[in-house]
Amino acid sequence: MPTFTAFLRSSSDEQLAGLLTRRPDLASPFPGNLTSLAVRATGRASLERALAGVDAVVVQVLEAVAALGGAARPAIQDAVAGGPHDEVARATDEALALALLHPDDEGALTLAPGVAELLGAHPAGLALEVTGPADPTALPSDDDPLAAPARAVLDALTWGPPVGLAPAPGSPAGDAVAMLVARRLLVRGAGRHVLLPASVALVLRGGRTHRGVATPPDLTQVPHRSAATVAAESASAGERCVRLVVRLLRAWEQGPPGVLRAGGLAVRELRRTAQTLEVDEREAAFVVELASAAGLLAVDDDEPAVFAPTTETDAWSALDLPQRWVTLASAWLATTRTPWLVGSRDERGSLIAALDPELSRPWAPRLRRSVLGVLAREPGGAPAADDVVAALEWSTPRTVPPRGAVDAVLAEATTLGVLGAGALSDAARVLLEPASHAATPADARPDAAAAFAAGLSPEVGDLLLQGDLTGIVPGRPSAALESLLERAAVVESRGGAVTVRFTPDSVRRALDDGLTADELVERLTTFARGGLPQALDYLVRDAARRHGRLRAGAASSYLRADDPALLAGLADDPRFADLGLLQLAPTVLAAQASTHELVEALRAHGLAPVAETPDGQVLHLERTVRRARRRGARRTASPVVTRTTDAAALVRRLRSSDQRRTAEVPDDGDPPSRTPGGPPAAGTDDPAAALALLREAATARENVWVELVGPSGRPERRLLRPLRVEGGRLRAADPVRESELTVAVHRIGAVRRAADDEPDQDQDQEVT
Amino acid sequence: MSGPLIVQSDKTLLLEIDHDQADACRRAIAPFAELERAPEHVHTYRLTPLGLWNARAAGHDAEQVVDVLLEYSRYPVPHALLVDVAETMARYGRLQLVQDPVHGLVLHALDPAVLAEVTRSKRTAGLLGARLDATDVVVHPSERGHLKQVLLKLGWPAEDLAGYVDGEAHPISLETDGWAMRPYQEQAVEGFWHGGSGVVVLPCGAGKTIVGAGAMAKSSTTTLILVTNTVSARQWRDELVRRTSLTEEEIGEYSGARKEIRPVTIATYQVLTTKRKGVYSHLELLDARDWGLVLYDEVHLLPAPIFRMTADLQARRRLGLTATLVREDGREDEVFSLIGPKRFDAPWKDIEAQGYIAPAECIEVRLTLPDADRMAYATAEPEEKYRLAATASGKNRVVERLVAQHEGEPTLVIGQYLDQLHELAEHIGADLITGETTVRERQRLFDAFRSGEISKLVVSKVANFSIDLPEASVAIQVSGSFGSRQEEAQRLGRIMRPKASGRTAHFYTVVARDTVDQEFAAHRQRFLAEQGYAYTIKDAEDLGVA
Repeated sequence: MPTFTAFLRSSSDEQLAGLLTRRPDLASPFPGNLTSLAVRATGRASLERALAGVDAVVVQVLEAVAALGGAARPAIQDAVAGGPHDEVARATDEALALALLHPDDEGALTLAPGVAELLGAHPAGLALEVTGPADPTALPSDDDPLAAPARAVLDALTWGPPVGLAPAPGSPAGDAVAMLVARRLLVRGAGRHVLLPASVALVLRGGRTHRGVATPPDLTQVPHRSAATVAAESASAGERCVRLVVRLLRAWEQGPPGVLRAGGLAVRELRRTAQTLEVDEREAAFVVELASAAGLLAVDDDEPAVFAPTTETDAWSALDLPQRWVTLASAWLATTRTPWLVGSRDERGSLIAALDPELSRPWAPRLRRSVLGVLAREPGGAPAADDVVAALEWSTPRTVPPRGAVDAVLAEATTLGVLGAGALSDAARVLLEPASHAATPADARPDAAAAFAAGLSPEVGDLLLQGDLTGIVPGRPSAALESLLERAAVVESRGGAVTVRFTPDSVRRALDDGLTADELVERLTTFARGGLPQALDYLVRDAARRHGRLRAGAASSYLRADDPALLAGLADDPRFADLGLLQLAPTVLAAQASTHELVEALRAHGLAPVAETPDGQVLHLERTVRRARRRGARRTASPVVTRTTDAAALVRRLRSSDQRRTAEVPDDGDPPSRTPGGPPAAGTDDPAAALALLREAATARENVWVELVGPSGRPERRLLRPLRVEGGRLRAADPVRESELTVAVHRIGAVRRAADDEPDQDQDQEVT
Repeated sequence: MSGPLIVQSDKTLLLEIDHDQADACRRAIAPFAELERAPEHVHTYRLTPLGLWNARAAGHDAEQVVDVLLEYSRYPVPHALLVDVAETMARYGRLQLVQDPVHGLVLHALDPAVLAEVTRSKRTAGLLGARLDATDVVVHPSERGHLKQVLLKLGWPAEDLAGYVDGEAHPISLETDGWAMRPYQEQAVEGFWHGGSGVVVLPCGAGKTIVGAGAMAKSSTTTLILVTNTVSARQWRDELVRRTSLTEEEIGEYSGARKEIRPVTIATYQVLTTKRKGVYSHLELLDARDWGLVLYDEVHLLPAPIFRMTADLQARRRLGLTATLVREDGREDEVFSLIGPKRFDAPWKDIEAQGYIAPAECIEVRLTLPDADRMAYATAEPEEKYRLAATASGKNRVVERLVAQHEGEPTLVIGQYLDQLHELAEHIGADLITGETTVRERQRLFDAFRSGEISKLVVSKVANFSIDLPEASVAIQVSGSFGSRQEEAQRLGRIMRPKASGRTAHFYTVVARDTVDQEFAAHRQRFLAEQGYAYTIKDAEDLGVA
């Protein structure tokens, strides 16, 4: 009787390598030997992961196998499709390649241990736990007086769910149910429930387990966008998103917002940030989270703790636009953050803040990849969220994300420019599916940057200045022009071109930055096609004339006196040099020293000043730029990718260690007994192998000898039929005592297949 | 590089006018895009729901609009914008106002769901009568205008196919002896007549009165003309007598002074909106005759009560005339729903290029206030600041200097504050016209100015509108109604009638530097700057004014 382990052992190297590539969690950490691999491959967590990635047809195949209790390929195709079917054959191959199915020695395929439990109570809507006749003649004939109601009852249960609530007796339906139960076509379950046995259902279904093969939704029917539109829209969205991040960083380096005690960003701060960025709060939350995911923001722990741009900000800012975008997009694909939940309430009813540490969800990267994967399948297609959900219901029926999450991912992707006009951009496609020459996701970045750059409108160094104080850059401004406009003008609209307006305020800003009127005019003239209009020239010069007429500065305290001579003397007195006295007006001196120091110093030199206010207030106008150091390395949650080459190496290691092991302990040989004088010793005492054996026995419904370590520490050998192995516990039936027991697996010493050594009654009694 | 047009995602269209295809593109987008700014290099157009519906009303469909955008655009057109254009345009005309032989005025829906939506809205309550079937509902004839307003606000503008009453026939024809309608005026009349009702936008001095006369000749019915004031009313009368077969006896004036109702009656907004004991006492005028055409001069100034009255005149043909649809109160949508869609529009600079309006140079003269004035200004109450700055005494010397520079040219000095104007009139030795001047005296002075007897005139805001001063070629404004853009445009319009000598007109604004006067001036200038009039800024010192 070949076991799952034996199936693995008999698989070719290529098949094993394929398995490790498809189920990377089996390869890392290195499983050591094939038996451990078998244990891991049949563990609940790993199986769930594997099932999460399979499409609806594979699930149908597995259900069919579960319903039929093992079946040959033609039988599976008949059950699912009603005849030979390529899709079913493909799905069967895939299930085998994923080791969700394995062949038994008659050539029929059976479920890998543990899979049946994950398919639910009634796979394919069939109640396998109850039995009934499998003979069509047992069905009520037409001349039966209760034929019609019985037919209705059976019809309701035929395609599942196979459980129904029995109608009250006395009614035709109730009588029909009673009749069906009497004929064992229905079986009474708990309470008033009745079940339709799988065998009866299969007869009613004409031997089919499914009505038909699941078909994927037709994505060619969704609206399509031209490549140029997608490229241009995604590039302009991407450019905008990068600009928003830049503005966010610039705002926060000057006024870093505080960190809430729970770790997030206060609602008020988010609102303020949204105003600064001129976006709504939802988008602001996304931008903040995006910058944080890209490592550009972090908590600066100095008291009080604030969110501040990191040291990486400077390196990022120095990159060109496409590279900056690629950094953001890669970070977004990999982040576990779920910004769309910001503003909703958690289970305790409190508002979820942006940058809240609780906002991480390990499934987020998988969600993004699966949603974008749907778009990637149809180049140029712009499916709506419903289309995406429908596609995912086919491609990964066991992990269909909720509609809201799909909406959120599509919205984020649109904001980021991963989508353009609703279709996946080329740049994003490169990041999702790196070309073959790119060994790691990082290697794909230059390609992605190039693809992104292709969608940008051409860089232009021209500025058309007009008499109404507006200016137009008929394209994407060059970096130098952009920075000049950012300093000296207000942007009115963006798109293919940028339109700006010069206002007294905007010109003043440029002057504040240290430009003189002449410099500003000269720089504008270099870019201006057609010269500088008189009105603009006048505006700049007029602003310069007014600039700096008011002077502001910082002082710690002041001195005032009605006698100008007294103050003039103090200002020049070398004894007071360290007070930093500065004469502002004949009757006012400003001082850098505090009021206290000032008063003390004056008193020490025989003067009699009076303090006007209790203490001086420090007015600090200088802007401080904060930088925080990031803690820890960036964690990416992208799934471990096992490449074929690595997998092959792993398989070689597995094989060699397995051969060593088989040489040391012959698998079916008699190992030395651990309990001298006891019954035949265990087949294996390797915990991993023991678990595998238990699982296989549970699937095959076989008895095994299990050595249990009792509370006293004394091993005890019992013949058991394992029912289920999960959560670190074995549930098993004891056929001899006709009871069930549950034991922790760490108390199991050794396991041996009973079939190898059928126990006789004496031995059995001896143990008990 | 290809394509003169750049389509921005905020729905502005940038047209580079030095481009080879710029003219073709301008013609193509004019029907559906509103010209927002027309400075020297790049004109800005905007796509608005009103503009797109105007285009639908003129028979353009979304496909044409999208094709035009795609054809002329230099860069890929934002996809969302194309979708929005199609969706917005699809909303116009799903509802139609039609005349049913049995039920009278009926709101007919091409899409029952839309009708269900609007009938369920609270805003249509009381406007609609019995539901006839899934697609038709009776409309109370008196609510035709209100319903159109409400439907526009609901985003489902109705196409008014209910037609017009013919009105009382009255023969009117143009007497084109020695003059002819200009091509754009003919286009404007055609555009209006074809559309049935609507607004014609032409620059000041481009001959809007002629367009009105043309429309009247086309209609040949009794006509009610609504104008802003009495002087304007007299000018309309004179112009009609000169240009058409109408005689003085056929034209009546309905104003504060006279209450004549004749086949063609010219009434002022003021008299119509005068209330006696809380009711509008002159409303009977609207029903006094079976008017076949109602003409609104300066539609951008229509006061709110006139809108309400107009709502009841929906069965009559309506023509709105204006130099600018910009309303300081933002009620452009009421003009659209009650007067009608825009039927004709031509940028000022285009008409100037054709030689029909005079080229004009706009100059802002900045005056530095003396220290004493600056101190007074700095400490003044906020509500007094504009007045203080606008009436700064230094302006007198600047005006004097400018008048001297243009010695012999017909010159208007325009201001807001009477004290200042009196002082100015005395200073430069000119006659003064204010609201207090009698109509007879005004006419006398205008005639003298027209004949060249006097070359300088100081006027208050009474001269803002519709005074025909053919040969004024210099205007100097010293103060105005704060930041009113349309006032600025109107004042420039005073000097834009083409000059016999073909010389350039000059428009000066004198402002006090570093005061609210300067800020308001900047706001006032926006409309003209956007129309392509580049303001030059000069310092008063450079004019030789100390």
